[in-house]
Parts: sequence; C-alpha cells; structure tokens
Amino acid sequence: MTFDQPLLEVRDLRVSFRIDKKRSFEAVKGISFSLPKNATVALVGESGSGKSVSSLAVMGLLPVETTIMHEGSSIRFDGRELLGQSIEARRKLCGKDIAMIFQEPMSSLNPVFTVGFQIGEVLRQHLGMDKRQARARTLELLDEVGIPDPANKIDAYPSQMSGGQQQRVMIAMAIACEPRLLIADEPTTALDVTIQKQIMELIARLQKKHQMSVLFITHDLGLVGEIADRVIVMRHGEVREEGDAAQVLGQPRDAYTRALLHCRPRLDERPVRLPVIDDVLSGRYSPEIVLPQRSRGYAPADDNLLVVEGLQKSFWLREGLFGKREFKAVKDVSFTLPRGKTLGVVGESGSGKTTVGLTLLRLHRASGGSALFEGRDLLAMSDREYQAYKRRIQIIFQNPYASLNPRFTVGQILLEPMRIHRIGANDAERVEHAHYLLRRVGLPEQAFHRYPHEFSGGQRQRIAIARCLTMKPEILVCDESVSALDVSVQAQVLNLLQDLQDEYRMSYIFISHDLSVVKYISDRVMVMHHGSVVEMADSDELYRNPRHPYTQTLLNAIPRGA
Amino acid sequence: MVAYILRRLWQMLPTMAGVVVLVFVLFNWVGGDPSYLLAGKMADAQAIANIRTQLGLDQPWYVQLGIFVKQILTFDFGNAWSTGEPVSHILSTRLGPSLTVLVPLTVLETLIGIALALAIAFVRGSLTDRLVMIACTVGMSISILVYIIVFQYGLAYKLGLFPVQGWGDHFLENLLRYATLPILIGLTVSVAPTLRLFRSFVLDEVGQDYVRTARAKGLSERRIVWVHVLRNAAIPIITYVMANLPALLIGAFLLERFFGIPGIGREVILAVERSDFPVIKAITVYVAAATMVFNLLADLMYQAVDPRVQLK
Amino acid sequence: MTQTIENASPGLWALAWRRLRADRIAMASLAVVLLFLLSVLLSATGLVAADWEDEVAVNYAPPTFVGPDPALAALGRPSAPTPPNAFDPLAADIAGLKAELARHGHAAQAVKAATLPFGADKWGHDIVKKTIKGGQTSIVVGLIAALVAVALGTLFGAVSGFYGGKVDDLFNWFYSIFTSIPSILMILTVAAVLQTKGVLTIVLILGLTGWTGPYRLIRAEYIKHKAREYVMAADAIGASGWRRMFSHILPNVSHVALVQMSILVVGFIKAEVILSFLGFGVPVGVVSWGSMLNEAQNELILGKWWQLAAAASAMALLVTAFSLFADALRDALDPKLK
Repeated sequence: MTFDQPLLEVRDLRVSFRIDKKRSFEAVKGISFSLPKNATVALVGESGSGKSVSSLAVMGLLPVETTIMHEGSSIRFDGRELLGQSIEARRKLCGKDIAMIFQEPMSSLNPVFTVGFQIGEVLRQHLGMDKRQARARTLELLDEVGIPDPANKIDAYPSQMSGGQQQRVMIAMAIACEPRLLIADEPTTALDVTIQKQIMELIARLQKKHQMSVLFITHDLGLVGEIADRVIVMRHGEVREEGDAAQVLGQPRDAYTRALLHCRPRLDERPVRLPVIDDVLSGRYSPEIVLPQRSRGYAPADDNLLVVEGLQKSFWLREGLFGKREFKAVKDVSFTLPRGKTLGVVGESGSGKTTVGLTLLRLHRASGGSALFEGRDLLAMSDREYQAYKRRIQIIFQNPYASLNPRFTVGQILLEPMRIHRIGANDAERVEHAHYLLRRVGLPEQAFHRYPHEFSGGQRQRIAIARCLTMKPEILVCDESVSALDVSVQAQVLNLLQDLQDEYRMSYIFISHDLSVVKYISDRVMVMHHGSVVEMADSDELYRNPRHPYTQTLLNAIPRGA
Repeated sequence: MVAYILRRLWQMLPTMAGVVVLVFVLFNWVGGDPSYLLAGKMADAQAIANIRTQLGLDQPWYVQLGIFVKQILTFDFGNAWSTGEPVSHILSTRLGPSLTVLVPLTVLETLIGIALALAIAFVRGSLTDRLVMIACTVGMSISILVYIIVFQYGLAYKLGLFPVQGWGDHFLENLLRYATLPILIGLTVSVAPTLRLFRSFVLDEVGQDYVRTARAKGLSERRIVWVHVLRNAAIPIITYVMANLPALLIGAFLLERFFGIPGIGREVILAVERSDFPVIKAITVYVAAATMVFNLLADLMYQAVDPRVQLK
Repeated sequence: MTQTIENASPGLWALAWRRLRADRIAMASLAVVLLFLLSVLLSATGLVAADWEDEVAVNYAPPTFVGPDPALAALGRPSAPTPPNAFDPLAADIAGLKAELARHGHAAQAVKAATLPFGADKWGHDIVKKTIKGGQTSIVVGLIAALVAVALGTLFGAVSGFYGGKVDDLFNWFYSIFTSIPSILMILTVAAVLQTKGVLTIVLILGLTGWTGPYRLIRAEYIKHKAREYVMAADAIGASGWRRMFSHILPNVSHVALVQMSILVVGFIKAEVILSFLGFGVPVGVVSWGSMLNEAQNELILGKWWQLAAAASAMALLVTAFSLFADALRDALDPKLK
C-alpha cells in the first residue's frame, strides 16, 4: 500500500574505497534498511562502522575519484532509484528534498560569507526567490531555529557565533526548502552537553512541525532513546540490528547492541569491573547478572597526598595599542587528593578543567596558589628541584593520536623515561621492564618494535599509560583520556585504570566532560564553570543531591538511555 | 585599526634601522675603499686624498653613519659616481618605465593564473591535471635567460614583430610598442610558477568542509568553484601578490637589461657593474622601505577580505 | 585482551622509499639526477672534460649531426708548410725550433676538427666538454649553497621556534631585515661590494642570503610541534629542552628541511646561471652554464645556436628531473597520510 511505502529504502548497499592502484577497502558490506515517512530513525555505530559513508552515499557526496559503488546496490527515495542518475540530477534533490547537517559546524560553514547569504543561497537556488524574498524568509528561519536577535545575526559571519548557534544556522539552511528527509551526521558530538540537549530538542520539534523524516547518526546509543522511533545498529560495515526504538533499547536481540548498551558506565550503579564487548559477545555477561558493586568516596582517615590551595592561571591577550588584557582561565581552585583515591573534575569547554591539570604538572606556569606534595609546594620550586618530582606526578592526554612521537618506536617511547630518571641498572633491565609493562596493559610483545601509527586509539592510550607506569607515579592526571575512544574501548581502558589504581595505589585526577564516566571512576567530584569551582562533593552525593544550579543543569542534560 | 597601523609602523623602525646598518656595514666596511676606483688607474696620492675628503671617508664611522641617515631622510644621495647624475633624479625617472612594464604584467599574470588555476581545479587528479603540472615543471626548468634570448631573437630580430630594444618618450607608445614583448616574455616565464602556486591554494580550499556543505545544498560544481572556493582562495592569492610587488621591481631587471628599458632594475645592474655605491645604497634602502610598507598593506588587505581575522 | 599485529612496522623513511619505488616518474627523475651527479664527480676529479680549454676545433664548428660548414673548412686544414724563403732572415731559426718541438713530441700543428658531437664555440672549444664542466660548476654551487642555507635556516628556526621570547625576537629581526631586501638585490649588492670573484664567493652569497626561506618554515614547524601533546608528554616525563628540540621534534621536521633543500638547489642553480651570465658569478676562465649562455647570446645572431641549445637543454633536463623528484619526495614523505 502506498502510504506504507518507506521514504528511503536502501538495499544491498556496498561501497568500497580505492587506497591505491591495487588495493581497496570495503567500508559498507551490503546493508539494507528503510526509513518510514514522518519518523526519526537513529543510525548508531562506532568509528569504522560505515554509518557516515552510508549517509553520504544517500546524498551522493562520496568522492568520485576513490569510491566504488558495487553492482546491485540500490537506494530508492520516494520510489525513485537514486544510484545511476547523473550528478546534476542528484544535486537537484540535495538541499531541496534531502538535506544534511554535519558534525563540525564551524568548518562546515563558509567563513567568508555571512550567515544570511548562505541560507539565502539555498532559497534562491531551489525555490527561485529573489533577494528580498530570500532575506525575509531567512529571518523567519533564524527565528524558528532559536537564534536570538535575527535581524542583526543575519549579517554576521560564522566566526562571530558560538558552536551552538552555528549548528542552528546549519539546521536553518537544511530545513529552508522543507525537505522530506533530514540527515544529521553526529550534529551534537562537537558541542557541550547542555547545548547538545537544546539542539536535540530543536531537531525533534522541527521534525514534528514539518512532518519530515530524520536520519540521526551517532555513536552514542544512549543519546537516541529520547528522540528515535526506530534504531539501526551498525558495526564494521554491516547492520547488526534494526527495529523499533523501544525494542532495540529495551530487549536488544543482537549481542553487539547489548554490548553497546551495557559497556557504558551508568548513573545508577558502579560495578567493580565494567563489562566489555568480549564479555557480552561471549555470553559471560548478561543484564540479569548482578555485578559486585564498588563504593567510592573520601574517608576522614584518608592520608592527603596533594593539597591544592588557591590555584590560579591567567593568560594575557593583546589589546589596544600597547595594552594587554587578562583572561583568567583558572580562578582560585582548591582541593585535596588522598592516596589511592580519584578526584573527578567535570565541566564544559572553557571551564578551565584542562588548564588545572596542565598547571599542576607545571606544563603551564601557574599565576598563583600552591600545591603541597609531601609538605613541599610543587609550584614554587625551581626547575631543577622539580626535576626530581617529575616522575611522581604524570599525565595522560586526550588525543591518543598526538601524544606519542610518531618517529619513535614503542620501545623507544617506553625506554626514554627510564633512561632520563635512571630507573633500572642498565638497558637490558629496562627492556625487560618495558616488556613486562606492555603485557600488563594488554599489548603484544611485538609492539615494542612498532611505530604508533600501527595502533588504534585505544591501544595508543595503553601505550601512553605504560609510559607513565615506567616511572611508577603516585599521582596520575587523566585529561579526557577516554573521551576520544569508542564506547567499547572506553570500558577496557577504564577497567585497566581501575586495576592499576588497585595495584599501585595511585591517585587519579580524572578530568572529563562525560558525567557518567566521571561518576563511575571518581570518589569525589569537583564541578567547574568559567574557571571557578561551583560545587564539590563525594560522587554519589553530588549526583543524588546537586546543590548548585549549574550542576543541576549539567545533570539534567545527561541523555537518558531508554 | 588605527592602533594596529601605528603599532606596525612602530615595529618597522628597528627593521629599518637594521637595514640601514647592514647597508652601511656592507659598503663602508666590507666594500673596499672606493676612492681608488673613482680616481682612476693613474691617480696620484693627492687625487685620492681629495676624493676621500669629498666623500667624507676620512671621518669617523659614526659621523659617516649620521651622514648616511641624513641622506636617506632627505632623499639626497648626491650624484652617481659614474655618471654624475643626481641619484634622486635617477630614482624618480627610472620608476616610470619599470612600472609601465610591471603593472600590466602583474595584473595579467594574476588574472591568467586565477583563471587557469580554477579551470584546473575542475579536472584535479585527472591525467590532464598531471600533464599540465609536468608541463609547468618543464617550463620552470628553462632559464629565463633562454626565454629572453630565444624570444628576442625569434620574434623581434627574425620575424620583426616587435622592436628588438628601445624605449620612447611617450607613455602610450612605450606601453604598446616597446613594452609588449617584455610583458609577453614575463607572462610566459611566470605562468608556470603562478599556476602551481594558485592551484595549491585552490585545491586547499576544495578539500574543505564547507565545499561539502555547498554540495549538500545542491549547488552546481561551477558555482561552488567560482563563488565559494574563489572567494576563499582569493585571500592567500591577494596577500601573495601584494607581498611580492616590491620584489618585482628588481626582478624585472633582466627584461630591462635585454630590452634597453631605462628602469630601476637595469639601473641596479649598471650600478653594480660600475661599482656606483650611492645608487646601489639608495635603491636598496628605499626598496626595503617599500617592502615593509607593502607588507603592512598586504596585512590590512588580508583583514579586509577575511572576516575571521581581527587585527588588534 | 591481547590482540595480534602483523610484521614490524617500517619507519617514515622506509615507507617513503617504498612509495617512491612504486612511482615510475620519480625513479626516472632520480636516475637522471644521479647521472648528472656522476658527471659532476667525474668532472671534478679531472677524469672527464679536464681538457675543455683545448682548442680542438675550428671556430664555431657545427655539430656533427649538422655537418661541417664549408666556409670554415678551409681553416681546419693545417696550413701547408711555407717553403723556406731565401729572403727570410728567421727561416733557419724557425726550422731549428720546429726540429726541437718535433723532438719533444709535439706534432706540427694538430689538425682542427671540422665538426664535434655538439659543435664548438668561438675559440673551438668542445661544447660537450664545456657543458659537462659548466654543469660541475653550476651544480656544485647549487648543492653547497643550498646545504649552507638549509643548515643555517634550520638551526635558527629551531632555536627561534622552540625557545621563543627574546631569542625569537632577535632572529625575527634578522629575518625581517634580510627579507625586506629582495634577494636578487641582496645578491647583487653583496656581489658589488665583494670585489673578489670565485665559486666560494657565490656559494657564500647565496647561502647567507637564502637561509630565510627555510628559517620561516622550520620555525613555524617548531612552534606547531612544541604545542603538540607528544612534546608536552616529553616535558612531563622529564626530557630537557635540548632533548625535546633535537631528539623529539627534529625527526618530525627533517622531511620539511629536506624538501626545502631540494627547492633551494633548483633555485640556486638558476641564480648562479644568471649571476655568471651577468658577469658577477664565476671569474673569467671558469666555465659555467651561465657563461655559456652569455657567449651564446652573441653567437645566435651569427646563426650559431649549438652552445645555447647545449647549455639550455642540459640545465632544463637537470632542473626538470630534480624538480619532479623533489615533488615525488615531498608526496612520499607527507605525514598527512598517517
């Protein structure tokens, strides 16, 4: 029956990319799914799942030179076959019947044209409007997507707007011609969690108002529960599960889907070990199993390893003819860190949380305050005096692709700190120790001779952890260390960090914007906003009874799974 | 904005001072005593001593430096050692012919470069693209001397299409008759490197995310390249052209020499051949000043065309 | 939890070499460049073209493939020995001299060739030998000057970019001075001031004025890398500034220096040719492609094109091959692919 005909029907889609003259790589291995009219469908998958490639194939935006679309692939939009049509014919649909918004709004907007010009362009191209009509309609659209003061913002440049506003502009551009299908490729991933909520609500509202279908692509299964009617789960170029949202999220049939749901730390429980993908796929874990829980919190008997008082960091920006303006990144931060415990530092971008970590390690020079370690102020020491303390407080960075020297082998990376601090009597002992640590963090022996680019993100983080372990630090700062990792890998690294803390009694300062992860791993949580600490409490207490309004906003913005 | 300009001008002072010192050191210390050169081969000690006094070479170095600075500020370098013509007169009369060749050359070169670069962008990665790039490489590997010699011989001497050399008195006559062949050669020599450079600017833009968005909006490939990409690529192109202008003044020296065009470039060569220090000093210092001013103008233009940049 | 990884991963240079080997144009260009370098070596050691100054042909002898010029043929033949003249007061002495020379092995006036493989110049020098010898001059100047410029530029750029502050200000001051004077003007000015001519002079002039390009690029690279996490990590584990600058950052930046050097070699060869053409380069008596082009300028009007063709095509061939190889090298080293 016609009213049941899906808006978009994908059959046996197979897409490969040419790497060089001989080799190619299959990104999408023959998937099929369909999108009903007037519904929101979530396409969920981790990196390398093929979800973005599939959506770009629908739009016809895959690079012509390197893409191989295999025979038998079919994409039907409203009954019409798209593949095989000319580029011009497909372009006619783009922006008009099918529209797309992307992950990075800053780079997705043309920096040299005003917002009004870019939105107006779509109206003039597809609807034939003239300049005045386009401008009037653009103002309406800006208002509809929630841009404050549209009359002025219409002539603004993208660089003059915040990330959230830029994404709203992208959405306005996309819905300008009332498309039947809106594809949203990770639209909120680059945004803060409070903005994320607003954008999600906006998309849901627009979907209902314009009666369009939305294909919402994301890596976060927990995000889609509130807006999706149907859910499709992809892994390694294949569809693992497809069905109504309630069913997929409540009673997933596929083991991988189950793994995605259960490997994330939840707000209501804290198992001693997080289940990882392998546990779920092999059947060792299932939701009925009650996992032993771990309780966390500071105890009065704790012996304080680090006492930070009044930490400040300012950056100077040039202003006027000769003047300088002070930007206070960190304003008066104080906390204590007992041995063997974890302090979580949570906040959005610009909160100053990363600067706190870097300043403690003296990678930035603090503007004020003290950090007492064993009675001595780390921030006041000379460089020479501090050299002896360097091995005792270490850091793991966020970006696993940038924190290892691409020209060093893993072996060289591990040996260097040992040589600098003269750990081990000779190189033979150090190599022995390096091999031991590689095993400890779960990497194979041969890794010693390899270069970082051979490893995945999760593996590189483990190499970084092993590097820190060579020095047996007492304090480890984890600066968004799992944020760049896929959910399945996150759980593994978090478990590793837990094990190491139990074994070596290290103290962690865990910096992150991800509230669920922070609650899971922290004993005490410090909430930062614009450089100041707005609330600090034991993690269970904080999530149960947030007192500061900002904390409450943050917690409300956490997407609920199902 | 005004604050920015003032600050930049202020920052130029140490650089200008450095240039003055460098030129001074080069000519008054590294360079030999010019009095011998000027006195001629058979001069006696008295004549040489007279010349030294005349040039002020018997004064202590800081006095000489002071004289030099005064010369720069008053545009008065005295007379050229070889011809006796006042240096300031030389500079003012040679600028015109140089510009008659350079301005049309730069304008044409930039426009042709942009057009070709955009055209190539449509076929990027294809065989045509690679062949054109190889052709550019080959073209760039032939010395400019060869181009000039062959073109002058072939088109002017043998075929008589253009005058072999010379310069006239009237601007229009110069532009249309004498400057044409030099401009033609200049274009031929510069098309390859310009195309390569502009092509890289354009390709950098074509790979950006906003181009993907433009396609997603359903815009035609043509509109994307000529409106969206060009507007962005114009930024590095403009800054490149602006920053290179002063260097062009001197760079045309070969063309001027071969074609007998009385421009600044040819003047420099003559001065070097004759060891005419005042002329070389004056040109060096003023060209350096012009370069700094043009760099400032380039930065101001950059701010005007790129809304992301806010100069403070 | 352990995963398997295949064979030992190659480093940057091994990977680049693999990519280059697969590129046919790159390999062909490399072969041509090596050929030229070989000729430089042979010429410098005197094994080849050492006798370029011998006047072995008639003046302006055409190339063999063109055929001898009948107008000049007469000059080639050794003059018939003039019969002893009874009135010639020196006849007896000359005869005695000739007998002396013959005893020492000098043949009486060698035959001058009517054609040579690529012709002869005004004095009858072999163009092929001149081209090889000239190539030696131009290439050696280009290579050494490029080496000097890149070495200076890298050192200054590294120190400037890494340490910043006053050191950076100082080097930037030098940089702005040197770049506000167009390089050609700079070169000509220094040439005017230094009265001594010679290969060493040109090398110094080019090297000491050419450091600015590499400086700017290397400095920018150092500033970029210094902010990267792996350098911050090295700082965190206790690596000294020196160690970070040379053990950590330099290997990540060396490919930029190498590409810069290949660009400069090309630029300096071209500059040397122009300088020698104008007479500011090599002294009289030393041959370079530039001096050959200088002579060729006048020869062309007489219709003698072979010296121009030889110098121009040799230079074009080398520079093309070098440029193509440099492009391929840059693409092969491009870490963006990682």
